[in-house]
This record gives sequence, C-alpha cells and structure tokens, in this order.
Amino acid sequence: MRVRVRTWHGVASWLWVANDENCGICRMAFNGCCPDCKVPGDDCPLVWGQCSHCFHMHCILKWLNSQQVQQHCPMCRQEWKFKE
Amino acid sequence: MPLDRDPAAPKRSAAPVSAGMRPRSRTAPLRLPAPPAAPGPGPAALRSPAVCPRAAAPAQQCAPRPQTRRVPPAAPPGPALPAPPPPRRGAARMEPPAGAELSAAWNTLSTALVPPAALGLAVPRSDAAQPLKDAELRAALDILRRYDLHSVVEEWFVEVLQMDLQANIAPEFWNGIGQHENTAEEPQCSSLLLDAFGLLRRRLDPYLNSLELLERWTEAGLLLGTGAQTLQEKVYTMFKAILFFSTTKSFQEMIQQFYGRTFRIYMRQWKKGEEGRSERESSMSEDSDPEEGGGDSALCTGCSSKREQCWCPKAMEQFQQLNDILHRLHLLERVSADAVTTILHRMIEERMEQRCRGEYERSFLNEFQEWIEKVIGWLSRVFLQDGPLARSSAEASSTLKRWRCHVRRFFYHSYASMRIEELFSIIRDFPESKPAVEDLKFCLERTNQRHQLLSSLKSALETRLLHPGVNTSDIITLYISAIKALRELDPSMIILEVACEPIRKYLRTREDTVRKIVAGLTGDAEGSDLANELSKADPVTLENGQESDDDISEPGDWVPDPVDADPGNSSSKRRSSDIISLLVSIYGSKDLFINEYRTLLADRLLHQFNYNAEREIRNVELLKLRFGEAQMHYCEVMLKDMADSRRINANIRDEEEKLPEEERPPFSLVAVILSSEFWPLLKEEKLELPEKVKEAMEAYSKKYEKLKAMRTLNWKYHLGLVDLDVELADRTLSLSVSPVHAAIILHFQTKSTWTLTELSEVLKVPVTSLKRKMTLWLQQGVLREEPQGVFTVIEEEQKDQVEKVVLIDSDEEGDSAMASQADQKEEELQLFWTYIQAMLTNLESLSLERIHSMLKMFVMTGPVVTEIDLQELQGFLHKKVRDQQLIYSGSVYRLPKNCN
Repeated sequence: MRVRVRTWHGVASWLWVANDENCGICRMAFNGCCPDCKVPGDDCPLVWGQCSHCFHMHCILKWLNSQQVQQHCPMCRQEWKFKE
Repeated sequence: MPLDRDPAAPKRSAAPVSAGMRPRSRTAPLRLPAPPAAPGPGPAALRSPAVCPRAAAPAQQCAPRPQTRRVPPAAPPGPALPAPPPPRRGAARMEPPAGAELSAAWNTLSTALVPPAALGLAVPRSDAAQPLKDAELRAALDILRRYDLHSVVEEWFVEVLQMDLQANIAPEFWNGIGQHENTAEEPQCSSLLLDAFGLLRRRLDPYLNSLELLERWTEAGLLLGTGAQTLQEKVYTMFKAILFFSTTKSFQEMIQQFYGRTFRIYMRQWKKGEEGRSERESSMSEDSDPEEGGGDSALCTGCSSKREQCWCPKAMEQFQQLNDILHRLHLLERVSADAVTTILHRMIEERMEQRCRGEYERSFLNEFQEWIEKVIGWLSRVFLQDGPLARSSAEASSTLKRWRCHVRRFFYHSYASMRIEELFSIIRDFPESKPAVEDLKFCLERTNQRHQLLSSLKSALETRLLHPGVNTSDIITLYISAIKALRELDPSMIILEVACEPIRKYLRTREDTVRKIVAGLTGDAEGSDLANELSKADPVTLENGQESDDDISEPGDWVPDPVDADPGNSSSKRRSSDIISLLVSIYGSKDLFINEYRTLLADRLLHQFNYNAEREIRNVELLKLRFGEAQMHYCEVMLKDMADSRRINANIRDEEEKLPEEERPPFSLVAVILSSEFWPLLKEEKLELPEKVKEAMEAYSKKYEKLKAMRTLNWKYHLGLVDLDVELADRTLSLSVSPVHAAIILHFQTKSTWTLTELSEVLKVPVTSLKRKMTLWLQQGVLREEPQGVFTVIEEEQKDQVEKVVLIDSDEEGDSAMASQADQKEEELQLFWTYIQAMLTNLESLSLERIHSMLKMFVMTGPVVTEIDLQELQGFLHKKVRDQQLIYSGSVYRLPKNCN
C-alpha cells in the first residue's frame, strides 16, 4: 500500500519570538496588538532594545516620545537603544 | 335580547295586575267607601234597575243571571269586585231617567267595550253583536261623565281583561299549544302554533278594538288616563305577564323550530332570486356554497322534505301570518326575540364553522357582511310588516339598526373567538395566513377580546410549542413567524411582548438557542428568514440606552400604549424593534451572539480550506451594521488572517518552485496561519504526526520565519484537512480526511498490521478516541480489524465478502475545532482565580459581594473586558470550595491554612 499525500492543509498560529507574553507598557499580549491598533502582526510589530526587553513598537515609541531628557527602557531603566 | 318581562313581576298570575298596574292609592278609595255612598245621588237611583231588571231583560232577549243582577250597579268599577263585573247589558235604555239613564249608559259602554263572554253573558246572536255607533257610545260616556263615573271606566276595563285572560284565554291558548305533544310532524306543528295564536288573536281582538276607542277618548280628554303608563302599555304588559310570564320548554322549541325553518327557507329563496338575477353570481356562490345551493338532491333544501311535498310557500305564509298576529298583540319581541337571537347565533356559528375554520388564506369579513345583510332582510320580515301595515320608517329603521348592530357584534365576537382559538396555526402559516390576521385585527378593534387572545395564545404556545419534543430551530422559526404576524396584528407590539414572553423564557433554557440563531442569521439556506432580515437595509442598531420618547417623528401619529403594556419599556423602543433585535435580546446581551458567531466563523473557516470567505465577509459587514464596529473587530481579524495566509502560501510556493526538482517537498503543505489572540480558543488535542509531515512543517516554519522576522509558527497538528490517494494493489482511493486519519494510514505504509495500543503510542492519541477514528478506514475497506484491536491493510478487495457496515460515530460530524463555551468560560474564570487568591491572602476573608465588587474594580476594567456576574462567581467559588481550594463559612470565603 502506498499513500500519496496531495495537499496537506495545516493550521498554525503565529507568535512572536519573545521572552515574555505581554507588552510591559500596555500589558496586552504581544501576539495581540497595542491598544491603538486593530490588526496584529505586521501592522503592530514588536521591537527589541539592547537590554533585550521588547515592546510593541507603538508603545515604546510613545514612551520614548514622552521622555524629556534621556530615553530609558521602562523596564530596566537602562538607556534605550534599539537592537540592531 | 329584548326581554320585556318586568323582572320584578311576581310569579302569581293575578299579582302583577294588582301590584304593577294599579296604584294602591287609587284602589283604596274605591274599595273603602260603601257602594251606596259612592257617587253622590247615584246609589239610590242606580239601585232601581238592579231591582227590577226582569221587565227589561226579556225585551232584550237576553238571559242575565239573577245572582249577578243583585250586585249593586253602584259599583261598576269592576276592580273592586272579586267576580266578573255586573252585567248590565240590555235593560238600560228602557229605564227611566236619572239612575236609569246612568245604568243604560253604563250598559251600553260595557257591552261595547268587552266581549259578552267576559261578562259571564251568553254569547249573543250575531245580529245583536253589531257594533254600536261611535256617537251612541260617546253619548253614553257623556252620561257617565255627568255622574263623575268616567274615571272608573279604564280601571274596570283592565280588570275585566285580566279576569278574562286568567280564566279563559290563557288556559285555552296553552291547551292549544299543549296539543303539540301529540304531533310529531313539523308542518302540523307549525300550523298548530299558528292556530293557537290565531285563536288568541280572535279572543283578544275585541279588547284591542275597545282599547283603541278608549285611547281615542283619552286623547280627546274625555277620560282621565291611567297615570304614567298609558292604558295601551298596561294592556300589553298584561298580555305578556299573564300569557307568557312563564313559557314551557316545548313552546320555546316550537317557536325556535318555526323560525329556524322559515329562516332557512327565506335564505334559500333569496339565493334563488339572486340566481335568477345573475347567472354569473350564482355560479360563484354555487362554488363556494355547495351545502346550501345543492339544488339537485331529492330533498328540498328549505323545508328538508321531499320535493313533491315541499311546504316552503305554506311555511312562509304561516310565517307572515304569525308575525302579523304577534305584531298586532305586541308580543313579537316577547315571543320570538329569544328564538330569533338563538337562531341567528346558531346560524352564524354554523356557517363560520363550515367556511372559516382552518381557512386562513382569504378574508371572510366582506363575505359575512353580505350574508348579514341577507339575514337582516329576514329580520325585517319578522319585525317589520311588509306592505300596508308597515310602521313608520323611523321606528322601523331603528329596530333594524339595533338588530344589525347586534348581529354584527355577535359575528365579530364569535369570529374573533374562533381566530383566537386558531391563532397558533395562523401564526405557523404566516405570511400565507395574513388575511386571517387582518380579519382578526379588524374584529379585535370592535370587541374586547385582547385579554382572551393573550391568555389563549399563551396557553397554546405552552402546550404546543414549549416542550422538549420540539426542535430549537422550530421554536425559533415559530417565534419569527409570531413576531411578523403579531406585528401585523398589533403595531404597538404589546401582544407580541406579552404573549411571547414564555417563548423567550423557554429559549433561554435551551443550550443551542444562540447557535441556532446565529446559524440562521448567516446560514447557507438562501431563503432563510433571518438571513434576509439581516441583509435588509436600514437596520436597527443594537445600541443600548439610546431610545427616547421624544424622537417620534409625527406628534399627530402618537398612539397611546394599551393598558396591558409593560411601563418599563418605552413604546418607541418596542415599536422599532425588529426580528433580529428581538431575538438577540432574548439573552439580554449581544456579546453572547458575537462570541457564538466567532465560534461559528472559526469553524467554517477551518473546515473549508478553499478560502472562499466572500460570504463570510458579507456576513461580517452586515453584522457590523447591527452590532457595531467594535464588536465585530475580532471577526475581521480572523478574515484578514485567511487573506494573509493565502498570500504567505503563495509566497512560499513560489519559492519552492525555484528549487530544483529533488529538493522540493514531497507534497504541498498549505497553512492557515491564525492570530491566536483573535480566534476563539482552539481545542487542544495531542497528535504526533509522522516524521515526514513534521519535517515539511518545520521547513514551512523556517520559510515563514524568513518571511516575517522574529516570528514563528505554532502548528496545530490535529487541525486541518489532508487530500490523499491510497493506492492499494487493486484500487486507488482519493479522500479528504482529517490529520489524525491521515497519520493513521501513513503509518500503515511502513507496517501493514498494527495493534491499537501500538498505534496509540506512536500517535500519542488515547486508545478510545483512536478506536473511533479507525472506523473511517474500516468503512472505506482499507483496513480490517481481525482479531479485535488488530488492524491489517486489505490489499486486495474480496468481492464476495459481505460488506461490512461500520457506523461512523455521529459526533464525528459535529466535531468543532473550537473549545466549548463552557471550557472557555472556565478559562476566563481562571483569570479571576489568581486575583481572588491574592485578595484573600491579603484580606483573609471576604464576602461574595465584596469579592465581586473588587473584581469589578480591578479586573473588569482592563482592555479585554471579561464580565462575570454574581451568580457565575458564586458558582465558581463553590466549585473551588468543593475542590477544597477555598473555605466557606459564615458567609465569607477564606483560603485554607495550608494553601499559603
């Protein structure tokens, strides 16, 4: 007997490769989106800092814009630098 | 209806006369003064004719009875006398003046006014009975007036009449009627009836003639009149009182039979006339009226006797005569009104029963209106005399108007009752039954049967619909029909609201209600009511708390709510609600529906892998109009996921095609990539796929990771659909199966015999569920189970082998990829549990209300709002108590000691 698979329709869910579940700023799941967005994934990406903390891009930008002097990671208070 | 008998009339026949007709105050003075002392000089003078009557009597060829002669004529007022009043016929004119004159006048008058038999006299020969001239009577009356005796004439007349009625006429009449017992035949019976009444009329005619005369005199001022009641009224009341104060049952039956018969004959004749007039009409009515028009049968439809013996014309003649008599005696209402009313009611009911019951698709109002006019024609025969005797038109039309009003009202009432009784079926057949609904609406506006309708419909619903034997979808269908039909019936929607409350209540107890409603809303069936309703333009948005009474467009159109409306609901909201909003409001929350739709949508998307989501996109758009943008956001993301997946798949396939032949994957893997946060919770099932498949999936993940930086895929191995060909020695099967099935059969490639336990180990699927999955392959004839628990490939089909029927587990079909609602709720509540634990750790013990309010404050304000009501929380906490994770005592909850 031989079984030939023509097409395999699979189901998968995507997820961010991050070391946390929720965004530290908005407390929403990374796999969801920030409060301002409607659609997750490409439209509401994550960004990583050099301190290895990550946030929704929209959240951290908002945070950084609100910082007057120096820009710190809201989690570890190190200076915020985008990874890469 | 018109019951003329004085309700206070006493039972004894004589009593009404003395109590009701003659004021006591008048009786007394008449009775008390001794006869001789009565009117001035009269007594002495009057006595003379009484003393020497003999001289006069022979001259008059009359045979007066001696003993009555002795009664002093001074007491002509009969009322005071127990026996028939003194006859003083004859002799008078021969008497000398003064007393003689008076006596003569009295005799003239009395003999003229009442028939001799009533005075106890022998019936005179016919030549003596010739009527006295008016002038002579007037002269006699003048003499009485001179002696002031004219005041007693009327009293005396009434008394004589009463005596005669009691003693002779009534027994005679009832004797005549009583003969009915011996006659069985209907024609005889009615002629007997007529005879009895004819006799009655003959007996009473003299009185009536005199009555007219007296009446004329009263009008001319010659007599005093009889107080508030005219003499005529008194006399007619007396007829009724003495003759008919109680009627026997057989008499009533006779009357009823008589009128019923003539009614039928009349209706038939009318129809005949109609036929003669217009051939076309007759054929129409013939069609609709087979039971009445059937002219060919051996029996006459009018009198239901053989054609040759038909006595219809005779019956109609009798009918006319009887009506004349009754009319003359003013007994028409008393004798026939009851019978006529009964007949009409019976006829209306019969006709309605024959024609309208179960027939909802046309309106009967006009038809019956016409028919009632016919009936009125008959009534006019009864109550108005056609021809010269016709009464003044004003009176006639008012009587007819009264009857028409009554007949119509009765028709509306019984028609409405009938429709109310059938309302359940009418609703079921809506919109075909729209004419019936409109009829009912028309009738309801004229009768006061709202309450009857509500209670009857409610109980019909409860007995016929709301029991476990009925499908939820059938209940919903009927509810939708009810909404449509009752909205037609009552635009204020009160009836709907009140009568359908039991349906709503009952639907709340059914688990699959929401699912069925949502399925109906977005269903495949094109003609589905709900789907049509959903796609209607200008939907009512299901926002809460926006309604106000001010926004009614035309103040002039405002109609107050009926009294049974629930004042808690504003009328504008009620009026504006449509089917969907009513259905959704069964549960009072739209979230439930949106969640259900999400689950349904997820199921559909994951079961149809052709990405044909167009219809779903349309549904989502339509639902967005109803439920608002925000609520449908999740569904939009789901649909977007499908579109994205298609793009990614295309991308990856393009890439694969660039690869050289040998590096390409052995089969094409197409993935649906979900944004897990936006999909309902997927059922978790363990399944280990064969290496080859897993490799392909990993390769796909790699490509995906390359495409989308920092993202990876989490495969749901058990979900999906596999198209495969099973190539056996003598045949090839092409199938689309679930991944589990595919995995099973792939394993049989390497080894043709597996035991259930071995397979279960390899696939990591529990034996019980695996066994169920095996049935597909057994059924397809690819595997056989021999012995129990050992499966082998059937390479070559044995043609002669009896086909084994293997039943597929029915729940296989209904398997949803989604976790059940209950599971999801459990998951949500788990979120609360951490909070509750934290609360109790800090505050030691808390009451249920306290926990709820704190949860509300801290948890339910988050962006992902999960609501929990008090009951749910209580249930949840009690479950925790049962699991010994919580202690409940003194109405507060605390954590067990060892838990910290």
